[in-house]
Amino acid sequence: MKVSKSWLSEYVSIQSDTDHLADALTMAGLEIESVSDPYAHLKNVLVGKIRSIAPHPKADRLQCCRVDIGDKTISVVCGAKNIFEGALIACALPGTHLPNGLILKKTSIRDELSEGMICSETELGIGNAHEGILILDNSHTPGTLLNETLNLNDAVMEIGLTPNRPDCACMIGVAREIAAIESGTLKYPAITLNESGPDCSTMTSVTIENPDHCPRYAARVMLNVQVAPSPFWLQQRLSAVGLRPINNVVDITNFVMMETGQPLHAFDYDLLDEHRIVVRTARQDEKFTTLDKKERTMESDMLFICDGKKPVAVAGVMGGLNSEIHDGTQRVLLESAYFQPTSVRKTSKRLGLNTDASYRFERGIDPEGVIFAINRAAQLMNEICGATVCKGIVDVYPHTIPSVHIDVSVKKTHQLIGITPDQEQIESLLKSIEFTVNPIDEDLIRVNVPSFRVDVKRPQDIMEEVARLVGYNEIPSVSPGSAACVERPSRHLFYRQYIKQSMIGFGFFETINYSFISSDSADRLKLTSDDPRCHPVALLNPISEDQAVMRTSLVPGMLETIRRNLNQKNVNLKLFESGKIFLNHSNAPLPQEREGIVGIWTGTSQIENWQQTETACNFYDLKGVVEALMHRLYIKKLTFCKPEQADPYFRKGSVAWMMVKQNKVGILGEIHSDVLGAYQIKQPVYLFEINYEALYPMIPEKLSARPLPRYPSTTRDMTLILDKAVQAKEILDVMKSCNEKLVSDIQIFSVYEGNPISEGKKSMSFRITFRSWEETLKDEKINQIHTDIAKTVIKTFHADLP
Amino acid sequence: MNAPSNMLEQIQSDALESLAAASDESVIQEIQTHFLGRKGVLTHFLRNISDLPKEVRPEAGKSANVLKKKLETAFHNALSDIQTAKQDQEPGIDITLPGRPVSCGAFHPLTLMNQEICDVFKQLGFEIVEGPEVELDYYNFEALNIPKDHPARDMQDTFYISDNVVLRTHTSPLQIRTMEKRKPPVRIIAPGKVYRCDSDITHTPMFQQIEGLLVDKNIHFGHLKGILTTFVHHIFDEQTLLRFRPSFFPFTEPSAEVDIQCVMCRGDGCRVCSQTGWLEILGAGMVHPAVFENVHYDTDQYTGFAFGMGIERIAMLKYGIDDLRKFYDNDIRFLNQF
Ligand SMILES: [Zn+2]
Repeated sequence: MKVSKSWLSEYVSIQSDTDHLADALTMAGLEIESVSDPYAHLKNVLVGKIRSIAPHPKADRLQCCRVDIGDKTISVVCGAKNIFEGALIACALPGTHLPNGLILKKTSIRDELSEGMICSETELGIGNAHEGILILDNSHTPGTLLNETLNLNDAVMEIGLTPNRPDCACMIGVAREIAAIESGTLKYPAITLNESGPDCSTMTSVTIENPDHCPRYAARVMLNVQVAPSPFWLQQRLSAVGLRPINNVVDITNFVMMETGQPLHAFDYDLLDEHRIVVRTARQDEKFTTLDKKERTMESDMLFICDGKKPVAVAGVMGGLNSEIHDGTQRVLLESAYFQPTSVRKTSKRLGLNTDASYRFERGIDPEGVIFAINRAAQLMNEICGATVCKGIVDVYPHTIPSVHIDVSVKKTHQLIGITPDQEQIESLLKSIEFTVNPIDEDLIRVNVPSFRVDVKRPQDIMEEVARLVGYNEIPSVSPGSAACVERPSRHLFYRQYIKQSMIGFGFFETINYSFISSDSADRLKLTSDDPRCHPVALLNPISEDQAVMRTSLVPGMLETIRRNLNQKNVNLKLFESGKIFLNHSNAPLPQEREGIVGIWTGTSQIENWQQTETACNFYDLKGVVEALMHRLYIKKLTFCKPEQADPYFRKGSVAWMMVKQNKVGILGEIHSDVLGAYQIKQPVYLFEINYEALYPMIPEKLSARPLPRYPSTTRDMTLILDKAVQAKEILDVMKSCNEKLVSDIQIFSVYEGNPISEGKKSMSFRITFRSWEETLKDEKINQIHTDIAKTVIKTFHADLP
Repeated sequence: MNAPSNMLEQIQSDALESLAAASDESVIQEIQTHFLGRKGVLTHFLRNISDLPKEVRPEAGKSANVLKKKLETAFHNALSDIQTAKQDQEPGIDITLPGRPVSCGAFHPLTLMNQEICDVFKQLGFEIVEGPEVELDYYNFEALNIPKDHPARDMQDTFYISDNVVLRTHTSPLQIRTMEKRKPPVRIIAPGKVYRCDSDITHTPMFQQIEGLLVDKNIHFGHLKGILTTFVHHIFDEQTLLRFRPSFFPFTEPSAEVDIQCVMCRGDGCRVCSQTGWLEILGAGMVHPAVFENVHYDTDQYTGFAFGMGIERIAMLKYGIDDLRKFYDNDIRFLNQF
């Protein structure tokens, strides 16, 4: 909300300069977000004196002036008729931005040089005298800045008003805060009303059918109204705070709203059937055209202001086109009402219609300010529009909104805010913002809350006022001491951190992708409709189609990240993300949130370098990472098995389940080319996923160190020719089973297919490590076991020795 | 004929003298051959030892062998000295050639920032708690004293899943979830992702927040200031000024916004702080009694404070990042800087 310093000055004399005022208001809870000068465009406009006037040689209507602007005299071409030699005028120099959008330049007008512009009030935006240019009186000196010499200075402050402070959505409210800050006095505008018309109650009546929605409705009637543009000062006030002047009647209602915070509405009395007001709820789907010429469809609990026959306004939100003030309006019915905040809010939300009025009503206006505002508007209509004010007000107020008083303990105040103002100090602080205070006993005070402070309901609200008025920065900072007991950190947090740390150690970068994905992501992953990941939790109001549903998999986000990086020519990527997926849970109110990690490797395994050639990464690169990760997590029994049914986004035959003791903890494989295509990725991507829920129980709770072997080990190599289909793990299992005790490790150091190995076969070389925990093994014994192993393997797999 | 001992002495002094005079590897080798070679002087002496009188033979043999050892060592040392000197003079390997590349990963900057913040609070005795990101309206709003149809709901643009399920707009629901489960005292921080229906240069629809809550007997606003001052001094530096100004959050009363002195211009005013010299980084306040009532805490006995901050904002200030959206683009060239 915008406030103008010069407008505020009508209600309080402001001591501080603008910067200090803005600071002080910010520190009192009215955050000043920006300060602007409405006369900033006049910084290149000087007082000039016309030294000479000569006719323009090529244009009859123009004259060429020599204008003294203090340090020099310039040439200006001018078309105004009211100039004369010796006149003091306002001369805008090149660079001036005039309010009409024109930016002045040094120019030549039909071959005559013009180095400035002699301006009218309208052109300068400082008045509305259209006739001729502005002639200044003799007290001004050529060369001085126009805004300085005319005292045109104001500061418009934009306040970021918090929803609890509707009392400050007006000049008087902000002025009250300034008065409290500067220990000044708030001056309300004096109202003297000349009610020379007939009794208002003979002119109209008000019926409230839904007092819950509308606890109070006051109306006045004005006769002989002359609708015209507002006087300049009124237009200036409204423009300064960002409101567009319309006509004097409407402008007065806006002016009073900005002054008092009470939204008002003016109806053309003669367009009201039966000249009366009925406040009622709308019928479902009732149509109504608001002032902005849009047809609105109402719902049954929205509130209408009606005349004897038809709706004429959406209560508290916007008036209707059918009863609008127009140039020919002669009689005006003025509305000043209190509407129920939630009622106005619902209506405004559902109609998608936010107005200055609804903003104030939905936050809560001052129910006792209704009459002051309507009288103020009547006074201005009388003064400005020449209106005859009818006697009295029709004020229907079926249920009085009770005033609030709160008993506050001084001691508890001290305990909450951490400073100790005494009863007297508290009283004087609260009085400065129009609260009244009556001591009850040594500790308790009774605080009467003014009706405009709708946010103050509890003792803590009063305590905040005290703290705020003293200033938060006066409260000393102290330590709350140490915690009584410290909880053990959760294992889940620890493991997650540990996993991330390990992945970084393996050379992977952590990414964080959005939790929402496009709704076609499941299709792009080729998931079938029986897969729960095809039925995501959908947002009712997504920002875009790309972010329409909550992710059911970490894969789409990661593939998007790969695609973006590839577009930037970042082709070698080792990335991971640890995060949540969201799965619909048919019976629970909230979806299931499952945490896991996805890791990818694409591009090179080994970067080209003077010592090494480039190698593309493959399945086994990433498998190594998974094995190392599990090793870091002390998981010993990790195996990889061919999936019974692999996720369809992996390439068939290049995918494995990660198993720990019969439990599937994750999946590893190469991404299917169709899926890569769907993400415009043109290089192989290897990816693993691990579900933390499945993984964590597999991590041993305790670590126990093993003694180091005391006896040396011996290795023997063995090369076998095997059927291609035989898998490494089968052979290793058989080899180990030959002597579980003494075979401590088996490495596969070569796998070879092709010449001279015959078709359908492969050669595999194993390095077997033998070790006993009890003795140094003798050669004969090792040879014996080695031979046994060879025999068993040859027999089991129909293998051959080379 | 000289006595054998004299002969050996002569050999020794001849050998050592010529060795001392030699500076070239081949010369030394020649001298070595001359004395110790197959036809060398000392070899000759040893070979002809049987020609000596019987009584001096053992002594002469022993002395000759001692001398042989001594000379061998002397020649070896001289040669290795020369070799070492030669090696020392070699230009050596090109140490400017790059090493074999080792790929090193990195935490996401938001994780780094998050850890740093959590570490400070852990030292202050706060425990980390986490909760659901898809949240009931009750926990996200109602229980935090933000009823339906209240203008305070406009402060946060909410993503809805259904009428009563939302994407949490802050991690404040963890206040309620924690207090429902535990009796006071409570000291928690709740880091996590939050969501708001807003996307432009200064907003991403998902961002990260850390919420804190401390409830105990005799907790007042000064304690809130104390904890947050300590926090800011740890994360930025001891010289960073703070200011607390009144604000509004439905679940705290009194409420405050916390500004720190601009870390870019030290308060002089710059683009980052919009010339104000201050940066808003935290929202905070004393827990509203309505919130305590919702979790059945005795408001006569207990008071507390809560605070919340955006991780992105602090990370941007700490790391000098100018565009919020970089955090979620995951460009490796960006990630590689942390
Ligand atoms: Zn700055």
